Amino acid sequence: MQITHLFQKITRPLRPPAHPLIIHNNNLFPPGAKYPQLLSEQEFVVLDTELTGFNRKQDEIVAIGAVRIKNLQILCGETFYALIRPDERFHTKSTLVHRLTPQELRCASPMADVLPRFLHFCGDAFLVGHYVRLDLDFINRATKKLLGGVLQTPYFDTMCLAMAHKNYKNDHASDIINRHDAYTLTALSAEFGLPSFMEHNALQDSMQTAYLFLYLIKKMSQQGLQTMQEYLVAGRNRSMIWWPY
Amino acid sequence: MAENEQNFIPVENVVSFLSNTLPFNRLSPDELHRLAKKCVIDFFPKGTMIFNQGLTTVNFLYLIQKGGVKSYLKNEQGELTLNDYRGEGEYFGALPIIQETKANLNVETVEDSFCFLIGKKDFQALLAQNAEVSQYFLRTMSAKLVKGVYAELRQHKIAPRTDGALYLFSAPVEEIAKGKLYTAPTNATVKDVAQIMSENFIGSLLLKDETDTIVGIITDKDLRTKVVAKGLDFATLASEIMASPVQTISSQAMAFDALLKMMKEKVHHLAIEKNGQILKMITTHDIMVEQGTSPLYLFREIVAQRRIEDLYPLAQKVPFVIRTLIEEGAKANNITRMITVLNDHILDRLLSLMVKEMGEPPLPFCWLSMGSEGRREQTFKTDQDNAILYQDSENPKVMALAEDYFKAFARTAIDHLVQCGYPLCPGEIMATNPKWRQPLSTWEHYFKRWCGVPEPQEILHSTIFFDFRPGFGNSSLAERLRQLLTGIAQQEDIFLLHLARNCLSSKPPLSFFKNFIVEKNGEHKNTFDLKRKAMVFFVDFARLMALKHGVNETNTLDRLRILSEGQYLPQGMYAEIIEAYEFLMQLRLVHQLQMLEDGKQPDNYINPGDLSDLERQTLKEAFAVINRLQDSIRMTFQIRE
Repeated sequence: MQITHLFQKITRPLRPPAHPLIIHNNNLFPPGAKYPQLLSEQEFVVLDTELTGFNRKQDEIVAIGAVRIKNLQILCGETFYALIRPDERFHTKSTLVHRLTPQELRCASPMADVLPRFLHFCGDAFLVGHYVRLDLDFINRATKKLLGGVLQTPYFDTMCLAMAHKNYKNDHASDIINRHDAYTLTALSAEFGLPSFMEHNALQDSMQTAYLFLYLIKKMSQQGLQTMQEYLVAGRNRSMIWWPY
Repeated sequence: MAENEQNFIPVENVVSFLSNTLPFNRLSPDELHRLAKKCVIDFFPKGTMIFNQGLTTVNFLYLIQKGGVKSYLKNEQGELTLNDYRGEGEYFGALPIIQETKANLNVETVEDSFCFLIGKKDFQALLAQNAEVSQYFLRTMSAKLVKGVYAELRQHKIAPRTDGALYLFSAPVEEIAKGKLYTAPTNATVKDVAQIMSENFIGSLLLKDETDTIVGIITDKDLRTKVVAKGLDFATLASEIMASPVQTISSQAMAFDALLKMMKEKVHHLAIEKNGQILKMITTHDIMVEQGTSPLYLFREIVAQRRIEDLYPLAQKVPFVIRTLIEEGAKANNITRMITVLNDHILDRLLSLMVKEMGEPPLPFCWLSMGSEGRREQTFKTDQDNAILYQDSENPKVMALAEDYFKAFARTAIDHLVQCGYPLCPGEIMATNPKWRQPLSTWEHYFKRWCGVPEPQEILHSTIFFDFRPGFGNSSLAERLRQLLTGIAQQEDIFLLHLARNCLSSKPPLSFFKNFIVEKNGEHKNTFDLKRKAMVFFVDFARLMALKHGVNETNTLDRLRILSEGQYLPQGMYAEIIEAYEFLMQLRLVHQLQMLEDGKQPDNYINPGDLSDLERQTLKEAFAVINRLQDSIRMTFQIRE
């Protein structure tokens, strides 16, 4: 076991030169940039991934779903959905969750094909997701390996925004910290009375997240938040999150 | 293909929503899919003003996926009137798009709401391409909002103006175009044309060329603007000023298609075409007349009948007016009044024709309408509740004659009414019952006894009589009886106390935890009786307060209004009562209409599960109003239970 591991390390291909999409991305979002524009002027891509598991070293993305938000409206005609053929783990415990069969996954395109298309779809938009750092970790691991760099795109985490929102409303009387399921996408959607979608499909979940995002930012704008920077701060300050899986 | 970059799974949610929403459910799967891709989704927190009347440029049709909005109008004085609540599956914004005007109303979310938005251009394209969709939107549009070229049309309207005046757009143009076809040759002079038009009282004339083909049209307006205003010679040839080619419409098209085309082309005349032949003209005037097809048309027809039998089919038509009225967005209160007026006309016509047949009665009399008819609150077929009141006479011979006459009169009248579709009253409260066919002195005696004798059972059975009003004949007799009743009822505290207790007997079907209480089993499982459990209360309450404060009106809303004007009801309470009661009336009417259209006998059993969230919420609020009013009755009459 250890030997194979070692072997993998040695034979791991060198990092490829940075892909034009990555260069474009890194130029567009330089470190430390500030974003004073209004939220309504910004385009967003809300994304969700399905994974073979949560081990950041071994597990892989098997599906990406995403929808676009422009003028703070979800564009039903601009969606992205792709299944991805994993390198090794076709069948894991997660198969029961996302219901993508090994058979389906064998027929899917490899990440090397899907990733550029996905980055193209994302364009200059900011990213949004529910506990999106997990998705981004996996995506960036793939971009690093396949496209020679990582995304610097600013992102919003709907889970953080929900915490900020509820904190502002001083609304966690029934103490959510103790309820480990209170910040899942499903629980929040139910709590806020959003229309509900089929769970555990990357595209449906990204749609659900998009609804949650619209709900939160519009509710928070009633609380006085306006610029991107303010929302980013509101979302980030609560980054010490407890992961609800 | 295992993957597809433009896979529209989320759009499937939009598709499934659209396919459950009128009128989009009529679209083909393909059309639905295309439309769904063009939708955007927006979120509006509670209290968001989406439209500002007269200010907002409407760029989208809004379909409510979740939540609800209220729409209201603001007049020049800045007063607000609530127009409507719209909930899930309903839309707003269609009218301003069709008319290309700014928002016609204020629209504000009353809940956090998610909407699907269809872009103006996409919606217009849909209207242009899909006849079923455009028909739906035109039909549901309230005519009083139709502006522009049709302002003129509205001015012509001679109708007694009620809020619910409506237009029916479902007759084929061929049927409603009244005029004959008049033509002139193209080489006729303007003078010839004007002459033909004025001789035949027509506003337009078609022009034929040598081959008998219709090539153009001249209208009144052409004569005014192209000839007279420009000082042209009256010998000018018709062909020089005619509009060509003639705008045509298929003989199979519906009246609203014609209206739509007229609006689009900005013309008032269309030639009706069948197999390449022009049959006749249809004008805005024809459509205007047709628009009366509902109540107005029925009025005219009813009043014009000379034979009692001819009233039967007209009476049967009355319930159909309700559908149109509801579609046009009329309030239940206006609808029931409209139905009552129509029924009154039928009764009036029928009894006048009978008096003609039977000869004048030996004594002046008044036909009394009671119950819901007496309160002007009829909906679909309501049972007959009527009675005859006639003048006293010292002469026993005359009295005997009168008795015979009214006996025969009542029997014939009730028969005719049954033929008209008004069912018999199971409780025999009809003029055929000798008990309810009496001279004024006996009626006075009845009411004195009901008010004076503290026998609760009898009072309860007689409440129906307290809502009487004159239906036909000598109404001063009924008025005298009313005066007497008003005088005595106010004095009789015990009588009023019994009525008050009666008001407390119907409990709104809401549990302690604010859930609806429904029937657990039986024929009406999972439903409750909206009339018995809720509406009756408002009727009883209005009657009680009217009798207590000497209000002569019988209509529930009128009673409440007069009570409020007389400061007997606090303004806030009055507003709440009206809102609650109107909502219940509307709910019942729509429910009964649905039953009727499903081929069932209309009833009052409502299943809360069939209602939208907003409707359920409003219903609960209406029940809460009942609870509060019952508390206030307990206080006023010092009733402890």
